Formats: sequence, structure tokens, C-alpha cells
Amino acid sequence: MEIAVCVKPVPDPDTRLRASPDQRTLDPEGVKYVLAGYDESAVEQGLLLREQIPGSAVRAFAFGPAPRAPEILRSCLALGCDSATHVAANEPVDDPLVVAAALGTVLGSRPADLILVGKQALDDEEGLVAPALGALLDRPSFSSVTDLRWSPDRARFSFRRSTEVEVERWEAPPPLVLGLQQAWNDPRTAKLPNVLKARRMPIESVPAAPGAAAGRSVPLRFDLPAPRAGARMIEYSTPAEAAERLVRILREEAKVFP
Amino acid sequence: MTPAILVIGELREDKPTDASREAAGVARRLVGDAPVMGLLIGSPVEPAAAGWCRDGVDTVRWLAEPPAGGRLAGALVPSLLALLSEGSIELVLLPSTGFGRELAGALAARWDAGAATGVTAITRTAEGWEVRRPVFGGRATETRILSGPRAVVALRPRSFPAPEPREAPAAAAVQAVVAPGPWAAGPTRIGSEPVVSGGGPALGDAPIVVAGGRGVGSSDQFRLIEELAGALDAAVGASRAVTDAGWRPASLQVGQTGRTVTPQLYIAVGISGAIQHVVGMIGSRVIVAINSDPSAPIFKVADYGIVGDLLQIVPALTAEIRRVRGR
Ligand SMILES: Cc1cc2nc3c(=O)[nH]c(=O)nc-3n(C[C@H](O)[C@H](O)[C@H](O)COP(=O)(O)OP(=O)(O)OC[C@H]3O[C@@H](n4cnc5c(N)ncnc54)[C@H](O)[C@@H]3O)c2cc1C
Repeated sequence: MEIAVCVKPVPDPDTRLRASPDQRTLDPEGVKYVLAGYDESAVEQGLLLREQIPGSAVRAFAFGPAPRAPEILRSCLALGCDSATHVAANEPVDDPLVVAAALGTVLGSRPADLILVGKQALDDEEGLVAPALGALLDRPSFSSVTDLRWSPDRARFSFRRSTEVEVERWEAPPPLVLGLQQAWNDPRTAKLPNVLKARRMPIESVPAAPGAAAGRSVPLRFDLPAPRAGARMIEYSTPAEAAERLVRILREEAKVFP
Repeated sequence: MTPAILVIGELREDKPTDASREAAGVARRLVGDAPVMGLLIGSPVEPAAAGWCRDGVDTVRWLAEPPAGGRLAGALVPSLLALLSEGSIELVLLPSTGFGRELAGALAARWDAGAATGVTAITRTAEGWEVRRPVFGGRATETRILSGPRAVVALRPRSFPAPEPREAPAAAAVQAVVAPGPWAAGPTRIGSEPVVSGGGPALGDAPIVVAGGRGVGSSDQFRLIEELAGALDAAVGASRAVTDAGWRPASLQVGQTGRTVTPQLYIAVGISGAIQHVVGMIGSRVIVAINSDPSAPIFKVADYGIVGDLLQIVPALTAEIRRVRGR
């Protein structure tokens, strides 16, 4: 089975956020871009399926400019992906539909049975790439997916999709595009020999289709909340008094419940 | 010229969801007196259409759901495209739910539109639709311009006021639109279960969340958290320390590897406030922390704090809330 995993370099989750000098975006200065969040889970999921299905390959794809995109592809190789393809853009693009179009053009010519994407990126949290890819490639697409399994005798995937109120169980044959929500608290980490091996593996580079730079969603401002002043501490002599004071504040001042 | 807007609504128990009503109100505010087209996904129910008209839409269409009730965003797109060209629509508004986001992505890709999800404010400017949306788990907010001629905007539930009911125009003819499912032989929905929510409303959806951490002490004592949540009609959340210990299922985990929640009120009980937890709840409007350690980092992100033993404070709080709510 051919499994494609699309990943996006995102700021290390521990990054201290700062606005860029023009106030439009996150200041990338000194920020480390990594494979994280649901994308990390998508890679883990691809590798787990490969272990289960003989003859499978997991191919990683990342869109964007160097060095960020090739760097996280390198982490994908170190984790065990079979190949890596950099869909190269000259500048950072953060319009998810542009990203989907660029990836879709490349993936369209390399039929994968399963395309895995994180359900949303850790930074912009749009969650648009998986459904947009599905629509562009004319394949069924689902997001908020967990518990993905392959059943060889029926040649179908089974998985769950979470909605706000229920968890649906689905079955579907390939090809599919899935936005994963699964989070493993302990996804595999790259072992040193694999990190060294990954350094010598080639990363294929293909140019993004022309036109893939003119985004229709353009950043204007990046605002950080005023630092919270720290909690207002509630003074009390008995637990009942603490409770009574807090409830009064929540009703009358914060107005969070009637 | 005033742009034409299509609002896509979701139904729950035969009524438009609150988020769908909010979207109708936003559309009304954006276009003034110009017509707003509404589309509900599901099987036609007249009272639902009439109620939604009072919220702001003028005409209501129905998009039939596939027989199995399984929603596939991509399968709905062809009918949506037909509808959009018919009404020369420039903006599609829909709730930023899981399915709403799937639909936004699939539709925008085929309609060649700009799109944004999780939007908490939208205005019309000379350059296009200006949208605001929390990013980085609520640690920052970005403002973007959707500058193309077409845009799809998914609105974050509970970020807009419930619309004031207006005199409903004589409910326009409710028309059915049939969705041809191009993948009829493909995916099949084989069942569903309600979200494991620790009792109350689902975590992703609740206006109030009460979350417990390692400080709660044991699986048994975690009932204190559930009782407080019950008194508040709140959802139950947990730190990873709790889900790792198996006191409660992983579906309740809030944080970097769990869910991101943005309720009106988040009460963190016996949670230290590690960054991996905080990123999942910092977007909440009001944060309350209860912790025995006055130097716990959670107090840096909380609005109100109580230093004390949760085993005493939480039952007192539950009792006080039951008292003021008269139950
Ligand atoms: C890659 C990665 C991802 C992670 N993802 C997540 C995630 O998604 N979500 C998450 O929550 N964590 C996550 N973590 C773990 C996180 O770093 C913390 O370890 C975890 O949040 C701690 O949980 P806690 O606050 O419940 O426990 P602790 O840090 O042990 O805090 C317990 C608190 O309870 C207080 N307390 C104890 N007894 C009482 C009492 N009787 N009354 C009142 N207060 C009391 C203590 O003062 C303390 O502040 C992640 C970690 C890593 C490395």
C-alpha cells in the first residue's frame, strides 16, 4: 500500500510567541520549526500501518520554502518514512488552500492509496488542507479521524470520526484522504542510527505549480493578548466562604453564569 | 453593491443548532436588508425553517443527507456549487464545527475561494472580508483579509450573539435540493456512539469546563470534579496526569496532545499549569484555578484563584452552586 503523509513545519510548541516587526505575522526570528501535533501523529499512523501491511511504503510530502520544509522531511525520514518530497515554494505561504493546491498537484500524479494529514496544524489551526485535498483529487475525505485500521480480507479501512456530539464509525475502501485527530502521548522518537541514515537519504525537490503563491487569504495583524495580570486571589476563612465569594464574582463580575 | 450571502446550517433534533442561528444573525448584520439565502442539511422540517428565518435568513433550501445519515463534505459540494452560481453568492458562512470545517475546505477548493475557520469576528472592508481568529491554541489572534471575489468563512460557535428574533418574512417556499453522492459505493457509516464526555455535555461544545488534575488524588475522588461539573451543566476535562493514570479516558484530556477548548469558563482543579496543558485552555474567556500550592504556574494564567485543599473547596463550591441555582 502506498501511503502519503503531508506535513507542515510549525513553531516548536514551547516557542515564546512574538509579532514580527511589521506586526503581520509571528516573528520567525530564532523560532525552531518542527514536526509536531497532529502531523506527528499522521506520520506515526502511517508507520504503524506500514508495519501491519506487507509491501507498504510511507512517503512524506512538505510544501514551503527551504530550509524549513526539507528539515522536517529529514525528521520524517529519521522516524522511518521511505521517501521525502519537498514541494518547493520561494516564500512562506500560509494560505491553506494554496498549500492544498500545491500538494494536490504533486499527489495527483502519484496515486497513493491513503493520504494522511494532521487534522489541523498546531499553529494556524485551520483544518482545511485535508478536505481541500480530497475535493481537489476527487476522493472521499474525512477529518477528526481516530482508530484507523486496515482490514486485509475486506480490503477496507475502518476508522472513527468525532463530531461535537458523537463518534461515528466508518468503513471505506482506498483511496482516501484522512485528517487525523489521533494523538499518541508517546509517538516514536528517532533513534540515533536512523537520524544518521536519514542525513544521507535524498530529499526529492519539485517546484510548486506556478500560481501557487498568490494567496487569497492574506495576514494583516498578529496580536498577542495583554499578558494576564495573574489571578485575583480569593481570601477566605472557611471553604464555604471561598465558594460563596467565587460564585458571587463569577455571576456578578465575570458574568459567566446566571 | 451589497454582497449576496449563503448561510449553511446544521440541524440537531430537527432544529438549527445555536451556531447555525448565530451564523444567520451574522449574515443579517453584514448585508443589512439584502437577501440572505439559507441552506439546511438534513430532512426538511417546516418549523425549523420558519425559526431560522426569524434569525436572519430569507429563503431556506434543504440539502438531503445521504440515506445512511453519513455526512461526506465532498459529496455535497456539486449541489452547493450549483446553488452558489444560481444566487451569485460571494460569501458562504457556516458554523466552525468539525463537519463545517470539512465542508469549508472541500467547497473552497472547488469554488476557487479563500477560506478561514474558527473565525470570531468578520467585517467587510474595501480589500475584502476581514476576519479575526484565535491561533496557537488561543495564545494569539490573527487578522486576515480574504481578498478574492469568493470566500468561505466558518464561524466559531458561541463567539457571536444569539440573533434577536425579527418579524419573519412570510416563509419563502422551502425548496428541496437533492445531493447526488458521487461515492455511493465508497464510504459507509456503520454506526455511532455518543461522545464519552464524563457525564455532561461534550468537551468540545460546552460553555463551561471543569477539569481535574493529579491533585485530585485518585479515580474515586475524581467524582468530586464530575459533581461540580454536574452542578454547572459543565463538561468534564482532565490533565494528562489523570488520563495517563487511567483515572479517566484519554478523550477528556485537554492540552497539546488532547483537545483545545475555549469555553466561557474553565475551572482547573489540582492542575499545576504545565505549558502543554495551558495551550489547550488558554483561549477560555474566564479561568479559575483551585490549587493548594500558591506558587503553582496555573495562577499566572488564571483570572481568579483559590489557594486551598481541593477536597474541601470543591464540595463547598458544588454545594454553593446548587444553592444559588435552587437545586
Ligand atoms: C510532549 C508532551 C505533551 C503533553 N501533552 C499534555 C496534554 O495534552 N495535556 C496535559 O494536561 N499535559 C500534557 N503533558 C504533560 C504536562 O507536561 C504535565 O505533566 C501535566 O499537565 C501535569 O498534570 P497535572 O497538572 O494534573 O499534574 P501535576 O503537575 O502533578 O500537578 C498537580 C497539581 O495539583 C496540586 N495539588 C495537589 N494536591 C492538591 C490538593 N489536595 N488540593 C489542591 N491542589 C492540589 C499541586 O499543587 C499541583 O500543582 C504533555 C507533556 C509532554 C512532554
